Amino acid sequence: MKHRGKIAFFAGMLTALGAGWAGFPYTLYRSRPQPVDFSHKVHAEKAGSKCDDCHSFRADGSFTGIPTLDKCAGCHAAAMGSTTAEKNFIDNYITPQREPQWAAYARQPENVYFSHITHVNRGKLKCESCHAAHGSTGKLRPYQEDRISGYSRDIWRGKRMSDCVACHEQQGLEHSCLDCHK
Amino acid sequence: MNSTRRDLFIYAGGSAAGALLTPAPWRLITDTALWSENWPGIPSPPRGEIRTKFTNCSVCRAGCAVRARCVGDQPVQLAGVASHPLSHGALCPFGLTAHHLPYHPARLKQGSAEQALAAASAAGGRIAVLDLRPGRTASWTYRRAMAALNGLYVTADQPVAFDLHQAKTVLSLGVPLLDGWGTPGNVWAARPGFRLIQAEAIESRTAALADVWLPIQPGTEEALALAIGNAIQHGKADDERALSLANELTHNGPALVLDNSGSAAAMALNQLLGAAGHTMVARPEAPVPDSWQKAVLATGLAQIEDRSISVLLIDESAVDRYLPWHTIERKLVRDNPVVVTFASSRGGYARHARFALPTAVYPEFAEDIPTAIDSPAATFRISTPLAAPPPGMVNPAEFIATLADLPKSDALRERADAIHQAGRGTVFTPADGKTVAVKSLTAEVFWKSLSEAGCWIDEPGHGRAPQAEPRPYLPPSEPGSGGLPLVALLATPQAPPLISPLMTKLYQESNLRLAPNRVALNPSEARAARLEDGAHAFLETHLGKCGVEVSVDAAVPAGVVLVGTAPGILDVCGAAARAKVVAA
Repeated sequence: MKHRGKIAFFAGMLTALGAGWAGFPYTLYRSRPQPVDFSHKVHAEKAGSKCDDCHSFRADGSFTGIPTLDKCAGCHAAAMGSTTAEKNFIDNYITPQREPQWAAYARQPENVYFSHITHVNRGKLKCESCHAAHGSTGKLRPYQEDRISGYSRDIWRGKRMSDCVACHEQQGLEHSCLDCHK
Repeated sequence: MNSTRRDLFIYAGGSAAGALLTPAPWRLITDTALWSENWPGIPSPPRGEIRTKFTNCSVCRAGCAVRARCVGDQPVQLAGVASHPLSHGALCPFGLTAHHLPYHPARLKQGSAEQALAAASAAGGRIAVLDLRPGRTASWTYRRAMAALNGLYVTADQPVAFDLHQAKTVLSLGVPLLDGWGTPGNVWAARPGFRLIQAEAIESRTAALADVWLPIQPGTEEALALAIGNAIQHGKADDERALSLANELTHNGPALVLDNSGSAAAMALNQLLGAAGHTMVARPEAPVPDSWQKAVLATGLAQIEDRSISVLLIDESAVDRYLPWHTIERKLVRDNPVVVTFASSRGGYARHARFALPTAVYPEFAEDIPTAIDSPAATFRISTPLAAPPPGMVNPAEFIATLADLPKSDALRERADAIHQAGRGTVFTPADGKTVAVKSLTAEVFWKSLSEAGCWIDEPGHGRAPQAEPRPYLPPSEPGSGGLPLVALLATPQAPPLISPLMTKLYQESNLRLAPNRVALNPSEARAARLEDGAHAFLETHLGKCGVEVSVDAAVPAGVVLVGTAPGILDVCGAAARAKVVAA
């Protein structure tokens, strides 16, 4: 057959394209649900909570990150509503004093130092600038972990080094290696 | 249709081409690189609460204040404390990376304290302690122990301190004033207030940054000081430069003369210039409990009779200056002396000791730091531990106190109480940046401040003029003597016994500072010896030879070999020694 070679070549190419674009991401990442069915939306709308009510800064300026159980227990020592999610949270975590093993979507690798307080207080950045609409989601999506590197998939979405550099250049700010890689 | 092997190869080729148009290979490259960062064995700080702790760096006796960022209990980043009254927020490269020291691959980890104690107890004859960082509370323990054992307490300390803030003209005789001498932050804070004249054989970093660099022959620093002294006293000198310097020092005072060895000539010159008691004072020390005053006084190594020491205990857990081993060895009895060294690595005296006992390293143990050379007022600071030491580490002070049957006590706390009882001075607390008078604090609160890396500073005005020890001036020997054509100059400042293994840019790669095991030669000397940059060679002196690596540096003048300060090099080579470098 005249085009036999071309057909074989393009068949191989299509297979690889399909596997690379569709199959590879499924294979690369392992998904796991967050331990608690948490709604940022409910906390923002019904309780009127702001981001820094729970994700606060310590007195020395360091960022607390995801709140610990003590913080949650301040409001949820007893049920405040009638949802199953809250009941499960109280039964499984608050009552037995068991810390939920949250997975942080935006956790950076070990070799990266990021100062939240510098960006929030000095840079006047809003949380949404980096975390998009995460603070108004009704449900926590599964955490996706790279099987090879062990890093969260989310750090590739707007939190890469090139994104940091691009933003600093856009704002006309200086930056050097040791700012983040100390 | 039958598929052939050729079809299979074409299919594979198409797959490969297609794969390159997907993210898969590129992500695999990135991910593999990231994965390699987390291989087993690569230290990774544990997850945990991020906290700020404070301590004082004990890598050298500058004792700069340190703010440590800790994840859980592990320090991961060190920085200075900007509001500190002495260190002014500065921290040198050794201090910035000192939290790596506990992981140093050359660290000494094993040694039997019981066997060493038994051997030292059983040996008869004279006992001595060699303290390489005198003025600490541990040093007082050694002195008390030696009083109990009728032994000797040996140091090689420079007995003076200088006040750069009061000086208008500073003549530095080869002192690395702007490159690690004293407390770097304090020196730079005082720098705008004085004119610096650097008399040195090579154009060091301090020479490059000085107002005037005065090139001199290697080893003639003391002769220059004598000539200036003569010019001041008699108004004339053979050397025009000495006359000019005498004029400048006299008319642009207060003036100060600094040298590396504390020579009698430099001390006498300071006396002539009226610096003694003002800008140059006897090294001040924080008060100690009255009960400690029965301790023995320090003895210089030169004052000890040769072949008289049977048991020598060397504390090199904190080192300000190594003494060449050959000067120590001649003081030991010929038959089976017991030498016990307390060290963090095998690179120092452990090579010669019968027992090498491992010690904790900064920032693993609590120890006070003696007053720095650029502090005219006494200070007291504690290097608060930031991490726990590994098991099996030996505390030299406890070992020697046990040997002398001293009662067990918390010596640091006792000394803090003595300072509080004296009621003088102020204490600075880095956590809040406040300075308060000691009088206004209770003993408990004062101790708490010190335990949180506070810094006690004595009131000014307690300094006294130092006593110059009469010592004959020995001019350097003539060039070319004994088949050793080069004059060896010690690179300054001396590197600490352990430096961060990750500080590769400064040492292993760029060699910005002369590494401890290196020598630097002028290109013409290197060519004559057929040596290239990076070559392995032997440094030979009349005391012996040792293996070194060679750097070729045009900044080193002909006729000079600049030598690193590894203990191995110091064993065969003192300042201004005659030497030659031959290919290995």
